[in-house]
Amino acid sequence: MEKNILVVDDDEIVVKSCEAVLSAEGWQISGVTNARDAMELIKRNTYDLVITDLIMPTIDGFELIKWTNDNFPHTRIVVMTGYSSKAVLRDAIALDIVDFMQKPFFPNTLVDTITKALNTPPKVPVPSKQPDVFDMEKLNAIVKKYKKKPGSLITILQEAQELIGYLPPSIQKAIAKGLKVPVSEVHAVVSFYSFFTMKPMGKYNVRVCQGTACYVKRANEILEKLKETLGIEEGEITRDSLFSLETVRCIGACGLAPVVVIDNDTHGEVNPVKAHELLENYK
Amino acid sequence: MAKITVIDLKRIKETQTGRMSDKKLMLCGGTGCLAGGSLKIKEALEHELDERGLSADTKVVHTGCNGFCAHGPLMVTHPDGVFYERLKLIDIPNLVEEHFVKGQPMEKYMYRDPNTHNYAHGIGDITFFNLQVLGALRNRGVIDPEKIDEYIGMDGYMGAAKALLDMSPREIIKTVTDSGLRGRGGAGFPTGLKWELCSYVAGSVKYILCNGDEGDPGAFMDRSIMEADPHVVLEGMIIAAKAIGAHEGYIYVRAEYPLAVKRLRKAIEQAREYGLLGEDILGSGFSLDVDLYLGAGAYVCGEETALMRSIEGKRGSPIPRPPFPAQKGLWEKPTVLNNVETFANIPQIILNGADWFKSNGTEKSTGTKVFALTGAAQNTGLIEIPFGTTLRTIIYDIGGGLKKGRSFKALQLGGPSGGCIPEELLDTPVTYEDIVKTGAIVGSGGMVTLDDTNCMVNLARFFLEFTAHESCGKCTPCRVGTKVMLNILTDVTEGNGKEGDIELLEDLAMDIKTASLCGLGQTAPNPVLTTIKYFRSEYEAHIRDKWCIAGVCKELVTFYIDEKTCTGCTACARACSRSAIIGERKEPHSIMQEKCVKCRACFNACRFGSVKVGPADMFGKSGKESENENESDIKSKESEEVAG
Repeated sequence: MEKNILVVDDDEIVVKSCEAVLSAEGWQISGVTNARDAMELIKRNTYDLVITDLIMPTIDGFELIKWTNDNFPHTRIVVMTGYSSKAVLRDAIALDIVDFMQKPFFPNTLVDTITKALNTPPKVPVPSKQPDVFDMEKLNAIVKKYKKKPGSLITILQEAQELIGYLPPSIQKAIAKGLKVPVSEVHAVVSFYSFFTMKPMGKYNVRVCQGTACYVKRANEILEKLKETLGIEEGEITRDSLFSLETVRCIGACGLAPVVVIDNDTHGEVNPVKAHELLENYK
Repeated sequence: MAKITVIDLKRIKETQTGRMSDKKLMLCGGTGCLAGGSLKIKEALEHELDERGLSADTKVVHTGCNGFCAHGPLMVTHPDGVFYERLKLIDIPNLVEEHFVKGQPMEKYMYRDPNTHNYAHGIGDITFFNLQVLGALRNRGVIDPEKIDEYIGMDGYMGAAKALLDMSPREIIKTVTDSGLRGRGGAGFPTGLKWELCSYVAGSVKYILCNGDEGDPGAFMDRSIMEADPHVVLEGMIIAAKAIGAHEGYIYVRAEYPLAVKRLRKAIEQAREYGLLGEDILGSGFSLDVDLYLGAGAYVCGEETALMRSIEGKRGSPIPRPPFPAQKGLWEKPTVLNNVETFANIPQIILNGADWFKSNGTEKSTGTKVFALTGAAQNTGLIEIPFGTTLRTIIYDIGGGLKKGRSFKALQLGGPSGGCIPEELLDTPVTYEDIVKTGAIVGSGGMVTLDDTNCMVNLARFFLEFTAHESCGKCTPCRVGTKVMLNILTDVTEGNGKEGDIELLEDLAMDIKTASLCGLGQTAPNPVLTTIKYFRSEYEAHIRDKWCIAGVCKELVTFYIDEKTCTGCTACARACSRSAIIGERKEPHSIMQEKCVKCRACFNACRFGSVKVGPADMFGKSGKESENENESDIKSKESEEVAG
C-alpha cells in the first residue's frame, strides 16, 4: 500500500529536497513549513510517518511531537535536526519517536532511515477508514419495504439515517438505485431538510436550541462556550468522535429556556458554566 | 378488545366517572418536566408509596404538559387538589411521609406568589391558572394521555359519535361555521369555510391532514396538545373527515418532538383497537384511517402546499394557489389541512354547539386561544385565554410581570412572521383584527416578553437569520432579499451601519412582502418593519452613535461602573473571568477597558445597577481604532488594486 508521509521544516529547501528524494521512492509526500499547518493536515489525513525538525518558530517540533502522540498515536515520527546538543537529542528520543537524523544528511541516509522507520509497526493500529462498511443488506431491506408506497423517500431516508447515523453520497446513490430514481432527486431532499446530515455524528450529539425564547435568554453565549470547550465549530465533530455540535431551531421547551439537548436528554435553564459541566457528565 | 359502539363508550365513561374520587398523583410528564427529572421522581414516588403500603389505592400518573413549565416538575394530587412545584428527587420520601401518611401537605413545594408571598394550596389560588379559560387544553394534567379510557371518561369521542351518527356533513359544517372558529395555525382562515369549499368538490378520494409541524421558534402549544391529549386531535380529524368526505388522513409531526410522536402513535393504535379508526366507525358505516408522517425539519413545511409536497416525499417548496388544496391538494386530490389546536377545538364545538363556543371571545374572534408565554415574564408557560383579553392582563396578571429590576420593552407576537408590540399598545385586546393593526399577528401564538436587556435590532436580525436560513429558495425576492436584509442588519449590529440603511431595509421589506409566493416570504420582513416602526431610535443609535443601549451588540457597547452608586461589594470583580475589574473593597470599582471582552458577567452580577452600558467610543479609544481600521482598509484596498 502507498505510504503517506508528511515533512515539516521551517527551511523550505529542506522540505523540497526531502519531497524530491522520497517521492522518487514511490511514497506519497506532503510538505509544510510550520507546525500549525502540519497539525491541520494531520487532523484531516492519515499519515504513516511524520518527519519533523525540532527548532521552528511559534510551535516547535517538541510540541508537534507531543500533540501528535496524544491525538494520533498511530503516526510514526522521525526527527531531523541540525541542533546536535546531546541533551536536546535525548529529550527528543524521550518523546517516543522512531528514529532521528542529523542535518545535513545524504539522500540515501534519508531513504534508509525512512524505510526502516516504516517497517517498524505503529504503536497503535492505524485506524481503518470506515466508508463502505455499511450494512447494505439492512439498507436494501428498508428501501424494499417502502418501494411500492409512493412518496416514501423521506421515510426511507429517516430510517436509513437511523441505521447508519448519516447519509453519505454512497448511501444516497444506493437508495436512488433501489427506488429507480435519479440520485439528484434523493440529494435534493437530503440537502433540503435539516434533519438529514451528510456528515457522521459524534457519540453524543449536542444541540443548542436557538429558538426565540432561548435566544433572548442568550443561548448564543452558550453556543460560544460549547464551541470553545469542544474546540469545534457548529456542524463539526470532536476528534475523539465523542461529541458533535449542532444548533436546533426550537424544540418547544421554551418554558425552560435556554435549552441544550444532548442526545435525547433535554437540559433546561442552562448557562455557559452549566453547559461546560453538562459535557463532563458525558465524558 | 373488539370494536366498540356508542353504548360501550357511555359505559366506559361511567366507569371512569365512578373512579373520579380515586387517589391519584398527577405528575407532569411533558417535555419540560421530563427534562427536570420527572421520570425518576415518578419511580421514587411509586417506590415510597409501595414501602408505606399505599400503592394499592394511590396511583402515580404521568400526564401531558401542565403548562406551568418554568416551575416544573409539577404535581397535582387528586382528589384533594394540592399543587406541588419544583419537586426534587431527594425530598420525595419526606413528601410522601408528610402528605400521605401524616396528611400534612408540604408548603415547601407549593407555589408562592412572588408579590403577596402567600402559599397557593390549590391550583385555583395561582393567578397564572385562574385567569385562564381552558378549551383546547381542557384535559391537560387531568388525564393520562396514554390511556384512551381516561379520554373517553372526559366526554372523549362523544363529539365524533354525535357527528358520525346524528349529523349530516352539512350540519357539521354549519355548526363549525356558526362557531366562528378560525384556523389556529397562523393565518386565521375560517375553518368552516375551508371545510365547505372542500366538501363541494367532487371526488371519491379526499384527504384530511393535521399540521403538527410547529416550526415557529418560541411556540409549543401544538406539542403540548399532542403530548397531553393526543386523542382529541384524532377525534377532531374524524369529525372533519366526515364533513368533507375523506377516508384517509395524515398527521404531520416534527421529528424533533419525540414524545408527541410516541403518544400519537399509541393513541392511533388504541383508537384502531377500539374501532374508532378504521372501517365502519361506531357502526356508522363511515371509515377513516390516520397515519403519522414525520417532518424532517424545514420551517417552510408549515405552509400548506409545502407540507403536502413533503408528504409526497419531495422538497417542501410551496406552489402557487389557485388551485387551492381544497380542490387539488395532496397527490392532486381535494385536501383539508388544519392545525393541531384547531382540531382540538372541534369535538367540544360539536358536542356543545356553536353558541357555547361563541360565549368566549369577541364577535369576530371567537373562543379561546393557546399562547406560549416565554421570555422575561416571571411565569412562563402555556396559557389559554379567551380572545379579547388584553396583552397587559396576560403579561402582568397571568405572567406575573417582569422580574424585579427589569423594565418591560416589548412583546414579540407571532414568531418570525409577527412583530414587536411596545408598552404603549399593551391595552390592545388579543383578537385577530386588533393585533394585525399593530403590525404583528396572532400567528400560532408565540409570545415572547422582552425586557430592557434585549436589543430590538439584534432581535430583528435573529428573525431574519431564521427566515433567510429557512427560505426554500423558490422565489428570488425571498431567497436573496432576506439575505440582503440580513447583511444590512448584521452590519448595523456590528457597528458598520450607514445612514440610509433604515430606509433601504424598509424598501426591501416591501418588495419581499409583495413579490413572494407563500406566507414565509410575505411575512418575513414583519419583525424588521415593526421594530423600525416602534423602536426607530434604537436603530438610529446603532447607526449614528454606535451605541447598543441594551448592551447586546458587543461592538457597540462599553461597560463602565457608575462610581456614585457602586458600593464596592466586589460582586462584579468576582464575576469577571478576565480580571478586568479593579478596586478596593467598599470603594468604587472600575473596568479596565483594554481587558474587557464585553461578556456582561459584571452587568448580570451587579445588584445595584451600577454597571452601565455606554456607547462604543465613550472613552474615545474604539473610535480611534475604527478610524485606523478604516485607513488600513483603504490602504489594503489600494494595494490590492495596484497588485491587480
